[in-house]
Amino acid sequence: MRAGLGLLGLLAAFAASAPWLAALLGHDPFAPDLFNRFAPPSAAHPLGTDELGRDLLLRLAHGARVSLAVGLAAALAATGIGTLIGLLAAWRGGWLDAVLMRLADGLLALPALPLLVILAALDPSVVGLPRGEPGADMLRLALLLAAFGWVGVARLVRASALSLLARDFVRAARALGVSEARLLWRHVLPGLAAPIAIATALAVGGAILAESALSFLGLGIAPPAASWGNMLANAQELVFQAPLAALWPGLAILLAVLGCNLVADAISRGR
Amino acid sequence: MIRLLATRLVQIVLVTALLSFAAFLLIGLMPGDPIEMAIAGDPRLSSEDAARLRALHGLDQPLMARYLAWAGGVLEGRFGHSRLFALPVAALLWPALAGTLELLGLALLLAAGLGVGLGALAALRPALAPLVQGLALFAQAVPAFWLGMLLIILFAVHLGWLPAGGAEGGWRALVLPVATLAFANLAAYARHAAAALAAALAEPHIRTARARGAGEGRVLFRHALPNAAVPLLTIAALDAGALVSGALIAETVFARPGMGKLIYDAVMGNDFNLALIALLVVAVVTMLATLMADLAQRWLDPRLA
Amino acid sequence: MAARFLTFCIALLIATAALAQPRETLTIGITQYPSTLHPNIENMVAKSYVLGFARRPVTAHDADWRLTCLLCEELPTLENGLAVRETTPDGRPGLSVTWVLREGLRWGDGTALTTEDLRFAWEAGREPATGMGPAEFYRSAYAFIAEDARRFTLRFDRVTFDFASLGDFAPLPAHLERARWQVDPRGYRSRTLYDTEPTHPGLWNGPYRVVQVQPGAAITLERNPHWSGPAPQFRRIVVRTVENTPTLEAQLLSGQLDMIAGELGLPVEQAAALIRRTGARFRAEFRPGLIYEHLDLRLDQPPLDDRRVRQALLLGLDRAQIVARLFEGRQTVAHTSVNPLDWPHDPDVRQYPFDPARAAALLAEAGWRPGPDGIRRNAAGERLSFELMTTAGNRSREAVQQVIQAQWRAIGVEARLRNEPPRVLFGETLSRRRFQGAVMFAWVSAPEGVPRSALHSSEIPTAERNWSGQNYTGFRHAGMDAILEALPVELDREARRALWRRLQAIYAEELPALPLWFRQDAHIWPPWLEGVRPTGHLNPSSLWAEQWRAR
Repeated sequence: MRAGLGLLGLLAAFAASAPWLAALLGHDPFAPDLFNRFAPPSAAHPLGTDELGRDLLLRLAHGARVSLAVGLAAALAATGIGTLIGLLAAWRGGWLDAVLMRLADGLLALPALPLLVILAALDPSVVGLPRGEPGADMLRLALLLAAFGWVGVARLVRASALSLLARDFVRAARALGVSEARLLWRHVLPGLAAPIAIATALAVGGAILAESALSFLGLGIAPPAASWGNMLANAQELVFQAPLAALWPGLAILLAVLGCNLVADAISRGR
Repeated sequence: MIRLLATRLVQIVLVTALLSFAAFLLIGLMPGDPIEMAIAGDPRLSSEDAARLRALHGLDQPLMARYLAWAGGVLEGRFGHSRLFALPVAALLWPALAGTLELLGLALLLAAGLGVGLGALAALRPALAPLVQGLALFAQAVPAFWLGMLLIILFAVHLGWLPAGGAEGGWRALVLPVATLAFANLAAYARHAAAALAAALAEPHIRTARARGAGEGRVLFRHALPNAAVPLLTIAALDAGALVSGALIAETVFARPGMGKLIYDAVMGNDFNLALIALLVVAVVTMLATLMADLAQRWLDPRLA
Repeated sequence: MAARFLTFCIALLIATAALAQPRETLTIGITQYPSTLHPNIENMVAKSYVLGFARRPVTAHDADWRLTCLLCEELPTLENGLAVRETTPDGRPGLSVTWVLREGLRWGDGTALTTEDLRFAWEAGREPATGMGPAEFYRSAYAFIAEDARRFTLRFDRVTFDFASLGDFAPLPAHLERARWQVDPRGYRSRTLYDTEPTHPGLWNGPYRVVQVQPGAAITLERNPHWSGPAPQFRRIVVRTVENTPTLEAQLLSGQLDMIAGELGLPVEQAAALIRRTGARFRAEFRPGLIYEHLDLRLDQPPLDDRRVRQALLLGLDRAQIVARLFEGRQTVAHTSVNPLDWPHDPDVRQYPFDPARAAALLAEAGWRPGPDGIRRNAAGERLSFELMTTAGNRSREAVQQVIQAQWRAIGVEARLRNEPPRVLFGETLSRRRFQGAVMFAWVSAPEGVPRSALHSSEIPTAERNWSGQNYTGFRHAGMDAILEALPVELDREARRALWRRLQAIYAEELPALPLWFRQDAHIWPPWLEGVRPTGHLNPSSLWAEQWRAR
């Protein structure tokens, strides 16, 4: 737990430090410098520069902001939807449960990546999101990932909620005339905290990986914004020219997902 | 059991029908008209050509009419023609499915084998558990396309031991893509196997077996593994959809034709017939696999029935 | 070091092993898979490349961009009497053009190739239900006369300077395909042998014939025993599709591919870096071609409706530097859509060298003054900001796009980047003119191709025109329209030169699109391969595959 949180904290600190780092190094990570492409590491560019002569370390820091934000937003949205649906299915049971769970099965059965590609190609202004704003781009991606990510959470929550609802204290509370809303809010939901936390932690890592896969297919975070996914995808295209450029974003993704998984593991063992 | 089977099969049919409609809408509403794309590629196409080609491909019909025509055809067993590959959809589907099943099957076998092995190691030698866990965590955290490229550079370009992908070359061309996919899925199996085995080893009948003097290996393979197989089977089945997503990445990096690439190309190339059928085939296979896993679970573990 | 040495030994072993066997097979990598193998349905580079080996059109442009005969004996001209001016039945000036097929032409199953095969191609193309691509040619060629088995005449309802070129109009094997087509022309597209049984030898009349097809992956060709031209050296040609360019390069480096075709190969910068790293292992030829990279602008909306803004935008771009730095100098900076290597090019056309000061002056003149955030504003306080789009996932274009964005920012212009996959960009955003601002993409043309569909005011896509036409910018210029109408029907080359000169002058003055550069194709060959002549236009090098040799 400590290792995982420490890792994530370190990455978050790195993301937060982006403006100071830029001030310290004294250059703009979004301004191409055609005379300084693929520069090796130096005092001015601790990790060297990318294919457009931009500082890799600074782009990595800015990428951390985007990737972690997308990961977190997607995970929170997925957990929100998943918890709601999972809880509803477990609580109401019967045909609603069957319908929701079969829908979940169906969604889980579809290969998500090609479908995400379709959705990523939709014009965001059609659904009322502003186009061309970096923030909107992140939000759009987070929502897309959540649209497929909630299923796993819902299944997990439903299973845990079912076992909780069968417990004696629930029956006792019902006998005492506690309202159903209060029952779910005060008695069932707290018992679901651990599985929800695990699902969220795993979903953050999953979303960061999914963003990188979408970037590989050309439909992740759009340039000139940096994300670890699009940096890695770009670097992989140039892997023979500048093999090291692929190392850093790859490592960053690895560490972030590792951190999330460690946290998830720790929670599940701590239970 | 029969009742359950019947109910679930009916549910699968209903969900498939629903999915087909949802997928049709999704692909149909995605911007981009195939005829306009052809015009962009060929300046000589005139207004009359555009109208003629649209009518020829049925694209001048409203979306709903197109869906009904398509669904009617499929129900009669006519899967239609792929506009992108100029071949009957069925002729494209089966080779792609075979290729993907080969790739995924081997990758799953490898992942499950290694995962169970590592899981067993962790369950038997608790001291090694953190190591196994670390490996699993690491495997899960590597982006597959990155790993694939690294493997290609190392084994195909620098060492020259294996081909860098492609469809020819028999088993040698399969090694790297299978390894990439297996590594990506290793984590799930190792963790679940470790958990399931640890749970199975704590069961009373294992203690009985041990008390009777059965060796550790025998205990593991004869008693614990069969019990642990059930939850593993379920994850494998549930994962099938996600596996095809993974296959898309592996097929792209290693230039192997297969379902993932086929669906992606069909979607991007605006090939309705192919995209829909391929998506639904994957969905149906996955749902059937989930059902089989459920049945197997009930059969292996009568307590659930 | 030890590992490096070991690698080197293994590489050497493999190399010597490869040398020991005679070179029977040539394995070629390309980045696209042909959707159909039917010669007259759809038009894509991968198909032209593969079909170049297996089937020959009557005429084609060669590596020197001259029209040549492939199946015919000589090109028809007015001078040699094979082309005759006449009047069409409805009284317009027309042309009757005769071609004579070479002797001894055969399909791969031994059947003689005759004018009957051309008649069938003409009849199938004329029938609207067949679903062949553009019907323009078949509308214009209103009569087909087979004078004997080798001599045929087409009568056209107009007189155009390129009458001798038959373009994509190529013979189809009537003995195999006619019956299939006649039964149901509407269903012919899905029942043609080219797609249902592409390995049928009778479909092919080139030096090679298709022997194996793996959809999405590879097409294998072998020598066609009935080919009457010079015998090709390689017994077998394998064309493999690898879409991911790093993988394509890896397959070349690992020896799975012998060469990468420039028509659909590596981006020039990747190819140049490859050659630098690998030394003498491969040979590269960079062939300047007719692929015109440019920015289409939205001419009917502010701020790009103002010519001064467009000129300022071009002056604000340091194209020479971009080409030098991003492409190692391996692109040709464009001044208009006419390639400097094409004969109609006018070297004196107005040019826009990098000049940010003049760009700023022009913008100020147009009413755009520097704003507090560095972006210019007009009198109404609107910022000088528009979208700059290109194809998502094309990393080379995305890199250029970011440099353009930075260079424009320096003159106070904001470009907001938004990219879409090709399907959406070409299938809707451009074709329905839904873009705002600028879109970066490329045209491929034939030598002396008249850019009518991109520049004539009647070619602006609208719903009434079924979104046909490629004048996405909405360019309307009476002078340009007149030139575009006069050019195709002007047979005198010098008179055409004058028209082309005026066309380029208008283009450079009005800037309906911002010219960037003409792309080069990077052909990567093994050192032992000889005789491949890249063309740089739509007719691929494979049309002369019988001249390819291994040393």
